[in-house]
Amino acid sequence: MNFVLIFLITIFSLSLFFYGRSKTKSISIEKNIKLNALPKFYGYYLVLWCSIPSLVFLLIWTLFEPVIIKSIIIETAANQGAIFNDKNEANLIYEKIKAIYAGTYFGDIDTILKESALSYAKFINLFTNSKIVLIFAIVIASVIYSLKKIKNNNKARDDVEVILKGLLFASSLIAILTTLGIIFSLLFESIKFFSVINIFDYLFGTNWSPQRAFVRDASAITAEEYDELKDAFGFIPLIAGTSFIAFIAMLVAVPIGLFSGIYMAEYASVKIRRISKPIIEILAGIPTVVYGFFAALTVGPFFRQIGENLGLTVSSESALAAGLIMGIMIIPYVSSLSDDVINSVPQSLRDGSYAVGATKSETIKKVVIPAALPGIIGSVLLAVSRAIGETMIVVMAAGLAANLTINPLESTTTITTQIVMILVGDQEFDSPKTQSAFALGLTLFIATLVLNYIAQRAVKKYREKYD
Amino acid sequence: MELMNEIKIKSKNLNVYYGEKQALFDVNLDLNEKEVTALIGPSGCGKSTFIRCINRMNDVIDICKVSGNIEIDGVEINDKNLDVVSLRERVGMVFQKPNPFPKSIYDNISYGPKIHGKGETKSELDEIVENSLKKAALWEEVKDRLDEPGTGLSGGQQQRLCIARAISVNPEVILMDEPCSALDPIATAKIEELIDELKKTYTIVIVTHSMAQAVRVSQKTGFFHLGKLIEVGKTEKIFKNPDNKMTQDYITGRFG
Repeated sequence: MNFVLIFLITIFSLSLFFYGRSKTKSISIEKNIKLNALPKFYGYYLVLWCSIPSLVFLLIWTLFEPVIIKSIIIETAANQGAIFNDKNEANLIYEKIKAIYAGTYFGDIDTILKESALSYAKFINLFTNSKIVLIFAIVIASVIYSLKKIKNNNKARDDVEVILKGLLFASSLIAILTTLGIIFSLLFESIKFFSVINIFDYLFGTNWSPQRAFVRDASAITAEEYDELKDAFGFIPLIAGTSFIAFIAMLVAVPIGLFSGIYMAEYASVKIRRISKPIIEILAGIPTVVYGFFAALTVGPFFRQIGENLGLTVSSESALAAGLIMGIMIIPYVSSLSDDVINSVPQSLRDGSYAVGATKSETIKKVVIPAALPGIIGSVLLAVSRAIGETMIVVMAAGLAANLTINPLESTTTITTQIVMILVGDQEFDSPKTQSAFALGLTLFIATLVLNYIAQRAVKKYREKYD
Repeated sequence: MELMNEIKIKSKNLNVYYGEKQALFDVNLDLNEKEVTALIGPSGCGKSTFIRCINRMNDVIDICKVSGNIEIDGVEINDKNLDVVSLRERVGMVFQKPNPFPKSIYDNISYGPKIHGKGETKSELDEIVENSLKKAALWEEVKDRLDEPGTGLSGGQQQRLCIARAISVNPEVILMDEPCSALDPIATAKIEELIDELKKTYTIVIVTHSMAQAVRVSQKTGFFHLGKLIEVGKTEKIFKNPDNKMTQDYITGRFG
């Protein structure tokens, strides 16, 4: 139904474009007046007025219709004698009613359900009909309004500008609201988690084993149960593992990325740069899952083999393999960002250095890099936040056991890996185990937010210096 | 006729190409020691290109090719085997826009001496910095804030800092590429005064758009047009009684 409506509104709006354009032309000829805007703007004006109010109305209606119908139906069912103790049971009954209406319900249908389903059908019909009527009314009202405006020779060009500005604002608002929505959903689930687990037990606990956390009833945890629980959600091994792997990744990515950035910016000829820069950037385009199985199936066993030859025990899922591959994945971030910041160091500084007799590498070391340093630090911090948030490589190559270790040859785990492990498969959404994933997500979010903020400040500070 | 100083720099049939485009055509120009030579001419006439040949700064530009000869004290410098680093130590340069490094005033000056291994001890370096700043007439203004960033100085001060930086490695020649074009009249007057003082020690080549400036600071003037050296001679003569019609037209403001 909605698609038909949208289709009709679109067709009608488009035809209004041509109508509006020719109408204003004829008005200007007839009354011999100069139009306040080009004829096509009157066309746009009609199109926007016809489509936006009706589409916005349709959107709002579609969002709220099910909610309203549901509350009405549950109430009527209750009036007819349906018994439900809590919200879940009410939901169940509502789902049954909907299934009966759709013809996909195969259980016993008692009179209450039958009556409710009939009234459901009635309300659906009523709502659909009134929706159509209202939309037509809105279309007609807005078209009449805009036609009247056009006949008065309004400044359609300016008005179109205003409407478009509103549209653009609405789009950015959606992005902002989505971000807020994500933050709040993380926040609320995390608050539930922290109402069960003390935040200090979480932040400073040294043992992470959420699979131990069997709780019969999350709302009433006894003191003994809590003693068990508080040892299951220690954040330290995860942050240690995450930082450790990110550290290994940075050991790989920073020197290689920075040096290749310097080469690209300072030494490479235009030709080499044109060929090699996109090739390096391809690294950033490889899906992380591909890196993941490369790490798990090629690099991990390779290190294990070398370790065996040297008489070392190397876990086939090691922090070293995961960190190394993650570092390779991050190289393009560091190299292309540092290439950019080095390029934006003004040539005049290099000239000044050459003019007193410095060689190229002296100039780079003593003038270019110090001048670009804040930007380079910014790019490294962005790379760190990328490394901390990376999931697929560590899931596949770093292991799942939360070992608190600094031996790069052992397996370790990260925050993101644990979030995946917790949320894969069937979950009870009220157990602390599941909620801990949100707490982890929130912690991770805050950590990367802080890093990004610092990085952007650094980059910005650097820009201001030369502008 | 007063005695001319000895010739310091001599160019013979100097041609410069940027890719396909030829920027200088057979330039033959002699520059005298401890004198100021001004190069004038409309934009894009090759005067900057010419001075960038003297310290081989054109090497930095990939597509730039230089042929012909430039001699300093009779030694050919347009030679692949020449040590560019030591050449630039002898031939300093000051640029159009002040370009102090984003470092402290002290580090701006000590940068050159350090990379050439001059001033091994702190006190030697201090002395070089002080002397260079004094010669650049900046010492009195900055002596109490040597550790502040050079970029925080005013435009005129920055340019004098750049002159001090050029002086710091004790060069024989200083090239100035429109050193006052980004400065206000008062700062310009100071720099011109300074140039007058510096010519006692150094051979100076200055590119300028201001003919008044050329008259004020230089003893010899060369007029470039479309990559060719049209006329060269004593500044007085060039501006009072040029031989060439084109020079006459340019200095009287009929084109350019």
